[in-house]
Amino acid sequence: MTKFGMAINLDRCMGCNTCAMACKMQNNVPMGMMWNRVIVEGCENEFDAQGTYPNLARTYLPIACQHCENPACQRVCPTGATYKDDKGRVQIDYDKCIGCRMCMAACPYNARVFNWNDPVRDPDFCYGDAGVPVRSKGVMEKCTMCKERTDRGDEPMCVRCCPAEARTFGDLDDPSSEVSRLIREKSAYVLLPEQGTRPQVRYFN
Amino acid sequence: MQTASPKFKIVAGVLGVLTAAGVAAWIYQLMGGLGVTGMNNGTSWGLYITMFMLFVGLSAGGLIVASSASVFHITKFKAVALPAIILSTVCICAAGMFVLIDMGGIQRVWRIVTGPNPTSPLLWDMCVITVYLVLNILYLLFMTRYGVDSRKVEVVSRFALPAAILVHSVTAWIFGLQLAKEWYSAIMAPIFVASAMDSGLALLLVVLVALDAAGWFKFSRELMKSLAGLLATCIAIDAFFIGCEVLTMAYPGARGAEALSIMLGGATAPFFWFEIVGGLLVPFCVLVFAKNRANVKLVVASSVLVVLGVLCKRVWLLFTSFVVPNVYGAPGIASGSSAAAHATGVDMWAATSSYAPTWVELVVVAGVLALGALVFMLLARKMLVEGGGKKKAQVASAVRKEAASAAGAEASA
Repeated sequence: MTKFGMAINLDRCMGCNTCAMACKMQNNVPMGMMWNRVIVEGCENEFDAQGTYPNLARTYLPIACQHCENPACQRVCPTGATYKDDKGRVQIDYDKCIGCRMCMAACPYNARVFNWNDPVRDPDFCYGDAGVPVRSKGVMEKCTMCKERTDRGDEPMCVRCCPAEARTFGDLDDPSSEVSRLIREKSAYVLLPEQGTRPQVRYFN
Repeated sequence: MQTASPKFKIVAGVLGVLTAAGVAAWIYQLMGGLGVTGMNNGTSWGLYITMFMLFVGLSAGGLIVASSASVFHITKFKAVALPAIILSTVCICAAGMFVLIDMGGIQRVWRIVTGPNPTSPLLWDMCVITVYLVLNILYLLFMTRYGVDSRKVEVVSRFALPAAILVHSVTAWIFGLQLAKEWYSAIMAPIFVASAMDSGLALLLVVLVALDAAGWFKFSRELMKSLAGLLATCIAIDAFFIGCEVLTMAYPGARGAEALSIMLGGATAPFFWFEIVGGLLVPFCVLVFAKNRANVKLVVASSVLVVLGVLCKRVWLLFTSFVVPNVYGAPGIASGSSAAAHATGVDMWAATSSYAPTWVELVVVAGVLALGALVFMLLARKMLVEGGGKKKAQVASAVRKEAASAAGAEASA
């Protein structure tokens, strides 16, 4: 079995948001929504830092769908629109989504975004990959781990574009893959382990 | 058939106009998407789900009083069974409407039937509400259609009582099974059942007093006293459960305490304190004295406070969990609202989440409330006012037939 996952080296992340932009472009994500975002940890304002002057620190946390092994969103979906696909990714079947937003309340990572309106795109055309389906109003969407790219053997766009090479993508079921090696050697951890979701996106320092 | 009084026509007309306004606002929402509401990616449920919880609860009082009259042979409650069941039926329909109005893709809702996911509490809820509605309608039919068929009523009440408990529990599980939110608590289902009992009973009391005042239904003061006593007990149970939950949240001083500080002094504090003081403490202190329970004005005032208190409880219960995301940090969550779609820079983000209903939500809610009141008035008029007359006519015609044909007497009776 294939189980796609990702390991992110937080020491390399400099909060440039290139991954967030690359994701938005690749996946045709409308205005006002992000599938992938970079958080300045522990701050309310984007330009703040933790600590008091002169002992300040800024740490960044790129966060998108964690593609959990035990996805809370998939459990609560009444129509089975959210499902775990054959490559271990969590996907949404947009035709089945009734817009009840159970999954949104269930996701501990706030990874999901909802089409509250007809999607707005500032350049008045679809800027995404031609293979990415266009979502209509009233459906949920989120990171697909670049399904269209990873299906044809490419890396997700956030991995491809990260200028610091902080992200590593691969098959968690293959112990010899680079991502498995990093997770093993760097003791990569998961976000919110107390939620029991067993994410396939891991972080390490 | 009696003609309606001018007063009835005016009230029905006003309710009809409000309903039409609600339908218009709903159509507007269907055209524009849920972006016309105040909901966003941080606070993804709003006034509709609050009202859904409230109305599932309000529906309980009627059915529980009526069915416990049959199940536990409390004969004095049987007198109010019919108006109680009418109320229960109307409230559960309103609750169902709120769920459907809240859906972003109502045109795809049939997917629940063709591809149900058995682990989803929302699926359980839809099933249980449907069963509950069918039981309510059967109950009504058995009480009115062929005169009171007490054997069938007894049978249906034995299913209706557990169904009523279950419908509130399942509604609680929509929230209480979500590990990601502060709702995750085993006491959620008991709390929902308790607040369903007190708010439902309170609404039933208000409605029965109103029906009595309108001369549609005879509601004895003795019965009011005993229902008000039951209400006081239910308020106490509700308060006990809330106390258990609040203490469990507060004691470890961990994440639960953060949520509690929002309830005690943050965004949802006005609702929390109104419920504790106005919804539990004051009505309990009034109704605990037998003398007050005989006073119509005090009973009605306490009942109204209880319903408002439970509404406030739904508000703090739902929204407190949405305020601070689990993974906190700037810039926060892309709010996704209509405003955010056209915003630039940091304006599309929210580090902590907030919500206020828009006029569309308020008009839709007013419309559903008006429709519920209208349907209740029409059903009550048909079953309580005209039903009484019709029954006499049925008896008279049966007597006539008996005289005409001895052979057909048994069938017509």
